[in-house]
Amino acid sequence: MHIPDGYLSPSTCATLYAGSVAGWYAALKRLKRSLLSRLVPLISVFAAFAFVVMMFNLPLPGGTTGHPVGVTVAAIVLGPSGAILAISIALAIQALFFGDGGITTLGANCFNMAIVGSLVAYASYRLIAAGAAIASKRRIAAAAVAGYLAINASAFVAAIELGIQPLLFHDAAGTPLYAPYPLSIALPAIMIGHLSFAGLAEAVISAGLVAYLEVADPKLLRKTSGITVGGEERLGAAQLTSAFPRRLWLAVALLMLVTPVGILATGKAWSEWSPVEFAANGSKAQVAAAATMSTATIPVGMQRLASLWTAPFPAYAPAFVKSAAFGYLLSAMFGVGFVLAVCLLAQHCLDRRRSAGHSL
Amino acid sequence: MPLLFQLDDVGFRYEGISALRGLSLQIAEGESIALLGANGSGKSTLLRLLDALCFPTEGSLTFAGQRFTTELFHQDGFSHSFRRRVALVFQNPDVQLFNPTVFDEVAFGPLQLQWPKEQVRSRVMAALELMKIEHLCDRPPYRLSGGEKKRVALASVIVVEPEVLLLDEPTAALDPRSQSQIIDLIQDWKSSSKTVITATNQLEIVGDIASRIVVLEDGRVAASGTPAEILSNQELLLRANLVHAHRHSHGSYEHSHPHIHSHARHEH
Amino acid sequence: MNHRGFVAPTMMGFAQALSRPLMSEEIARRRGLLQALDPRVRVVGLLALVLADTFSRRLSIVLGLCALAVVIAVLSKVSIGTLAKRVWLIVLVFTGVIALPAIFVTPGDRMATLAGGSLHITRQGLTAAALLIARVETAVTFTTLLILCTPWAHVLKALHSFGLPNELTAMLAMTHRYVFLLVEAAGQMLESRQSRRVGRLTAGEERRLAARTVGVLLSKSIELSNDVYLAMQSRGFEGEVRVLSDFSMQPLDYAGLFAFLAASVAAVWIGR
Repeated sequence: MHIPDGYLSPSTCATLYAGSVAGWYAALKRLKRSLLSRLVPLISVFAAFAFVVMMFNLPLPGGTTGHPVGVTVAAIVLGPSGAILAISIALAIQALFFGDGGITTLGANCFNMAIVGSLVAYASYRLIAAGAAIASKRRIAAAAVAGYLAINASAFVAAIELGIQPLLFHDAAGTPLYAPYPLSIALPAIMIGHLSFAGLAEAVISAGLVAYLEVADPKLLRKTSGITVGGEERLGAAQLTSAFPRRLWLAVALLMLVTPVGILATGKAWSEWSPVEFAANGSKAQVAAAATMSTATIPVGMQRLASLWTAPFPAYAPAFVKSAAFGYLLSAMFGVGFVLAVCLLAQHCLDRRRSAGHSL
Repeated sequence: MPLLFQLDDVGFRYEGISALRGLSLQIAEGESIALLGANGSGKSTLLRLLDALCFPTEGSLTFAGQRFTTELFHQDGFSHSFRRRVALVFQNPDVQLFNPTVFDEVAFGPLQLQWPKEQVRSRVMAALELMKIEHLCDRPPYRLSGGEKKRVALASVIVVEPEVLLLDEPTAALDPRSQSQIIDLIQDWKSSSKTVITATNQLEIVGDIASRIVVLEDGRVAASGTPAEILSNQELLLRANLVHAHRHSHGSYEHSHPHIHSHARHEH
Repeated sequence: MNHRGFVAPTMMGFAQALSRPLMSEEIARRRGLLQALDPRVRVVGLLALVLADTFSRRLSIVLGLCALAVVIAVLSKVSIGTLAKRVWLIVLVFTGVIALPAIFVTPGDRMATLAGGSLHITRQGLTAAALLIARVETAVTFTTLLILCTPWAHVLKALHSFGLPNELTAMLAMTHRYVFLLVEAAGQMLESRQSRRVGRLTAGEERRLAARTVGVLLSKSIELSNDVYLAMQSRGFEGEVRVLSDFSMQPLDYAGLFAFLAASVAAVWIGR
């Protein structure tokens, strides 16, 4: 599911590069708190290891073969921040030195596989393996499920990125300029392949590796096991923090990306009508049927109050944005960003108040 | 000659295994020592302790009067000067070749010590010339042969002109020509009063490279003496697993006794 | 059951990976156009052309950039035959397969009808497919030229001089260097197990072999990284990575840079 150059528009590439840079920065910051110097060789060698794993042509149940990515193993052994960096570096080496995978799309590939993949793998592994002993069957199963989910999550995000291309980027005649298939084709086409093959390859490798490590080298599993043993330093990394906030961010990010899917639905959502719908001939009948009225007449209250407030982004699209889908995305990002800013501001004020109270 | 290293009852445990215990040793400046011991006797661990890559879990290790602790190495000045004065050549050269080209590799040490660019460049070229590998300047490490890798590894430590050289099995797995080049190099260092400590289990070369032999057995010092003394002590050598006794033949006559397999170097 | 199996194709992939640097080293030594330019100019210039390729909205411009790529290849003494075999053909097959259905599926002005009226070829579909294939071929050609004509160490140093943080530069360098070590180790492991077994392995046995190989490789990797860290410390590494780069721009480099940027800007402007 490496996306080559040419499939994504410049603005999509730039957005995903920005997202990846944010991810790398966050990962570097988290790791710097522990011994980053110790981690330079560790992450490098792990990236090399992941690169080699990606070359394995794994036979799958059913008679086909598939290539694992190794992101799940990375997340289990290194934790999410280390995995984000290690897999990103492996992908960068693939693109920059071996010429596999695009350079403009490196940001997108890192976002899909290294960032989304690592977070989903880590979160699902921790969730399913919670509380199990280091050498337990549940961990092996957790690794398999985590691997399967991670790959499919990456594929899902990639499919969305590819599927919105023709919608957002076409010329005046309607020719898609980049990836030519809309969401309705791209999503099933990509997901079927990953749900059946690629996901299995990752699951097999992840489960196999955890099983092997449980016998041969269990200390490598300790970092993400949730089991703390004294003050012993494991692989030179910091203590584990809760996976919850990260999962939340991931969920939010995914939801944001999926907002344009609403375009696929026709008609207006029930009771989300405005005076416009009541007036226009086409929608009048729809409204009437939905509201079980014989004819659609504007409620008196709506008529009076409709002009009271004009939204900055009417119909989820600022005036200068021509495309409906992009407008959805933009609105989603703006909305989330706004809520975030308000919450951070509130937290900041509360913290100030609290620390001021403390020092008194 | 003044005392350089002093080890008193040093022990080192790692993951429940005792690699060294009750080890006491004194090394004077300018000495050339061969650490003899079978695999697993603790030679590599001892060298790493001497290079302050890990610290003793028991006992004390002193270098030039300073006792090794993590705090000592967090002090700015000490770490820098120590790293320049003491150099370790690892047994596996791949571990030591982690830069994109040979030039970068040899330049790594001086750069870490923050020497000015021009000085770095000239010293690197000098080290490459000394090891006769100027032609490998731009080669990446994965395109080097075993002997070439060893020479690059050596160049990368001698470029900062250290006073103490710690060598971990420097001639292991090398072809005869490369082996003798390394032995010549060690002898040059001997005669220029550098302190050289070589860990090896190749008995045939210890006479050439050392004036004192320290035999390690099971993580502690089993014996210490001149090459003549140690090499004639068959019982010690057998016990320390440094010689073997298997059946062999002289013409049509077969017998077995402790012996070593010599290589072609001979005395006059 | 397994028509391709595990060991053979995997080892073929390993062999391919190991042989690439040899090929690129040889080409990087030739006296051609790209090789004569400062590595930073090569990186910026070729990336600018890839960006131009991505920005263009018209097929004619993309094809023009493709022609430019071929010209640069010839001037840099890269054989067209090699490019065709190793790059163009593969991309054509992969992208072609992906792009083919677009000819029928994209809505627009119908140009032809097949299969008794059920499949329609649209003009937009044809353009979209052609555009995608042309774009991918051009981008891949530019990046391949960059990789073939520039030793890896120079790519790294160029990136570093553009502001890539020291830690990332060091990690990229080390990863690249150890890829070869691990590929060799993995290859040896597979080879030795292969030779100890008579006859084909079953799929289940192959999966177990893969898992075990990956497991051993992982343990070796961690051990290697521990030793590398000690080796770095031994030579004075204390957390701050320091890189020596000594590129200097000559007049030819400035001219080359200008030419690359001019071509990219022109392509984007005309093709907007």
